[in-house]
Amino acid sequence: MASPIRILTAVPICDGHDSAINTINLEFIRHGIEVIYLGYHRSVSDIVRAAIQEDVSAIGISSYNGGHIEFFAEVIGLLRKKGADDIKVFGGGGGTITHDDAVIMKRKGVDEVFFAGTSLEEMVRFVHQRYGKSRTKRPRPKSFDQQLAHKLSEIEDAYAKGKRPTRLRDATAWQALNAQRPTSKKKIRNSRGARVIGFTGPGGAGKTTLIDELVLRFLNRSPKGRIAILSHDPSVVGEGALLGDRATMINSQDDRVFMRSMATRGQAGGLSPATQDCLALLADSNFDHVIIETVGTGQEAMPFRKNGIVDLTTLVMNPDYGSRLQLQKIVMLDLAEIVVVNKSDLQRARTAHAEIEQRLEQNRRNQHLVDTVAKRHRDPGVDQLFELISNR
Amino acid sequence: MSKLGQVVESVENYNKFVLDQVKRARTDEKFGRELLGRWNDVKAKIPTTRTPTGLPLPRLALPEIDEPGEIARYLFGEGLPGEFPYLNAAYREMYLEPVREIESFEKNAGKAETKIPQLEEPTRLFSGLMLAEDTNERFHYLTRHQRTHRLSTAFDGPTLYGIDSDADGVFGKIGEGGVAIDTVEDMVRLYDGFDLGSANFSASMTISGPAPIIMAMYIAAAKRRFGPKVVPKLRGTIQADIFKEVQAQNETIFPIEPSLRFLTDMVEFTTHEMPRWYPISISGYHIGEAGSTPVQQAAYTLSNGFAYAEMFAGRGIPIDQFGPRLSFFLDCGLDAEYIALARVSRRIWAIGMREVFGAGQRAQLLKLHTQTSGRSLIAAEFKNNLTRTAAELVLAYMNATNSCHSNSADEPFTTPSEEWIRLAAHGQAILLEESGIFKHTMNMLSGSPGMKAVERAVEAAILDEFREIERLGGVLAAVEERYQRSQIQNAAHRYEQQIYNGTRPIIGLNRYRDGDEEIPEVKLARTPRSKQQLQVDRLAKFKKKNAEKATGALDKLAAAVERGENCFPMLLEAAEVCSLGQITGRLQEVVGRFRPMV
Repeated sequence: MASPIRILTAVPICDGHDSAINTINLEFIRHGIEVIYLGYHRSVSDIVRAAIQEDVSAIGISSYNGGHIEFFAEVIGLLRKKGADDIKVFGGGGGTITHDDAVIMKRKGVDEVFFAGTSLEEMVRFVHQRYGKSRTKRPRPKSFDQQLAHKLSEIEDAYAKGKRPTRLRDATAWQALNAQRPTSKKKIRNSRGARVIGFTGPGGAGKTTLIDELVLRFLNRSPKGRIAILSHDPSVVGEGALLGDRATMINSQDDRVFMRSMATRGQAGGLSPATQDCLALLADSNFDHVIIETVGTGQEAMPFRKNGIVDLTTLVMNPDYGSRLQLQKIVMLDLAEIVVVNKSDLQRARTAHAEIEQRLEQNRRNQHLVDTVAKRHRDPGVDQLFELISNR
Repeated sequence: MSKLGQVVESVENYNKFVLDQVKRARTDEKFGRELLGRWNDVKAKIPTTRTPTGLPLPRLALPEIDEPGEIARYLFGEGLPGEFPYLNAAYREMYLEPVREIESFEKNAGKAETKIPQLEEPTRLFSGLMLAEDTNERFHYLTRHQRTHRLSTAFDGPTLYGIDSDADGVFGKIGEGGVAIDTVEDMVRLYDGFDLGSANFSASMTISGPAPIIMAMYIAAAKRRFGPKVVPKLRGTIQADIFKEVQAQNETIFPIEPSLRFLTDMVEFTTHEMPRWYPISISGYHIGEAGSTPVQQAAYTLSNGFAYAEMFAGRGIPIDQFGPRLSFFLDCGLDAEYIALARVSRRIWAIGMREVFGAGQRAQLLKLHTQTSGRSLIAAEFKNNLTRTAAELVLAYMNATNSCHSNSADEPFTTPSEEWIRLAAHGQAILLEESGIFKHTMNMLSGSPGMKAVERAVEAAILDEFREIERLGGVLAAVEERYQRSQIQNAAHRYEQQIYNGTRPIIGLNRYRDGDEEIPEVKLARTPRSKQQLQVDRLAKFKKKNAEKATGALDKLAAAVERGENCFPMLLEAAEVCSLGQITGRLQEVVGRFRPMV
């Protein structure tokens, strides 16, 4: 079976009209499409960077606030400049885009412009027909991001076809290639180069926000450092997936951050069948840190344990986990090096801290417990977590 | 229990109180006689008016009841227009023709030679396009026949997001969908030729995320033109509604808590220094436009309002000082709920403010601006939009809105053009001045059995929403859990599905569609590149001129924010020499950026 179609959707800068795109996203994922949703008020460079890193087939832009002729043209222009014009652009925007505008936009390279009244089926059909063919001949990558993105796609495609990817055979060559790239000062802890930090925990605990805040601190601390994020979201059973982590990340939209969103594609446990190989590739790619985020997980065992690439595991908890008994069932509490109680401004946080602390003491493993409020700007708890991760 | 939970109780208690009064009027003879006496007295004092055809009509119509219980139900449950709980109207006469106009008509034996001006027109037309001078020209055009100058300002995307016209990748957005404002100099140009300190002038500014900064620029511009003494005389409204931005409109630039703090700083300032200013317009419009149901719109708007009231009171601003300066803004579409949505909202607000916040009479009034639904307008066979808007206008005035904006039929494609704006404005004039629906008699269309059924159903549904928000820990907690957002998104999704599968008929789109798509030929109001470049050049000049002073002002502002004091005075200083984007950027360094919710 071929990989699902991956597309990126976004609303342009200075535009908050996300009602239409939310509906369209849901329709796409129900029809087997993996949608990386970048959110609203997004700049041309954010959109193009994300599209290249995610190696999508196409970008769908929903524009309501005017300026669409320029905006679409700038997206296409930047894709060309980056050698990524195999990524196509389509879009729509109710009545603000006139038929005359659409003619100009198509002339400038937009594949299709949908008007008000276009049925959702029509849009789904368009995406399947236009972007459904597998991309066999890829352009020669012009940037490292692009090269890495293509490699990651090859791995995912191979798993989709039920094969082991060939990449593993040329791992040494890849390492050699990357060794030539300049990097920041090195505190390399293992042979692979990057420190790999895993984040897991139940849905809604604030993992994505926490990672984004850590990225901000990292970018400020290391003016030349580079970081990779491998983020996971669940696939709708047997179908598409809404990969929405980027939409809430404000600091990780940066040229020094390489982010890739993966759908679990039917695998339980919070990761994808291709995760291990993708993570290995990222770990070989000369980043200072590689962050891997699982989907929201339950009480089952630690998702990172078996692959052995992760250097440091962080479990992010919500204070509202239920009773003390529930706490006993969470296997990850025994395995994580760092446990974070996020949303520690909630009333229950104090009790949660005490209960988890007691539980960790029983383990006698020197695990760390940190309280954070990730949503707060310059939260001292996040500072503490950052120091812990950087220095451990 | 938060204040919202208390509001639910207060409405329930009030409804019980009304039933008790009904019972008492029927059992307590003395009380019954008193009520009957009052009722007869009210009826006797109602003046009679004459229509142009000579038909005599009372200026206030009342239900034909003479039984004390029913009288009690009406007087306590609904209230006469202008009386608690204000179901029928906030004021006694609303849009009625002044008496003297009729007299002069009669004196001249039917020849109305001397048309005596009305005090105030309820028409408000939202506009903003291209650069400040272009919008200024539009304002002068719109108000040329108006006795009072009530300007309603739309800003372009970069301004709404608090960024400058020279920011990366926004060039094509300059002046699109609203006016481009970067500096105090733009603000001076925007209202040029209008007397900002006059009682006949007011400015409404539809902006929320950077509202305190834009407010500071407006004040700075007014001071430049009229001197510092103009400040207490300034009249107008700034939207500044942070909750609805986070719930629906997505134009938030700082995290929620600092956004609310900057808002409270501004409200504290205007309450003391600008007693005629409305520093917040609690807005359901954008919630409705984002696809909520009408009940969600009213419930979230009112609960946001109560949350603001709690916050401002918490800062120590007296409720009777800020209460009368709160105003509301609702959407009016074509769903049945709109027959009574604003009526019910006015009643809940009055009861909650009186019973829970101890507000006096003026602070109990829900003062309402309505806009017809932009979402209901579509591009296909767009002239049908005239009919949609006309029907919505009737509904809006049936709800006794204090002011109203009617959308232009070409809105689905563009910033409205002059031709269609004129038709939209005239639609209101036809309804209020030409037709006899609203000018002769108060309660002309109030109190039908159907309307009462809608009122009961809508009130119960709004209280249910309040209970759910209360269960989640109040408005702020529910917002952070994205409760309202997710409810609105679900409703929007259902609405779209209904249009696509045809269960929600949209004439000309999914029903009675005439063959090929009619391509509308409307004149588009697009901003030429040369104007966009002019804006960028002006900004560069301003920044260069003020470079040195700007740094100092921004440092002082940042320090005030760090100290946690009211930063509005420092904002006023910064607005003199800094651009919008410079101020936003500096504030974001201190308090962070808003993290979008999806």
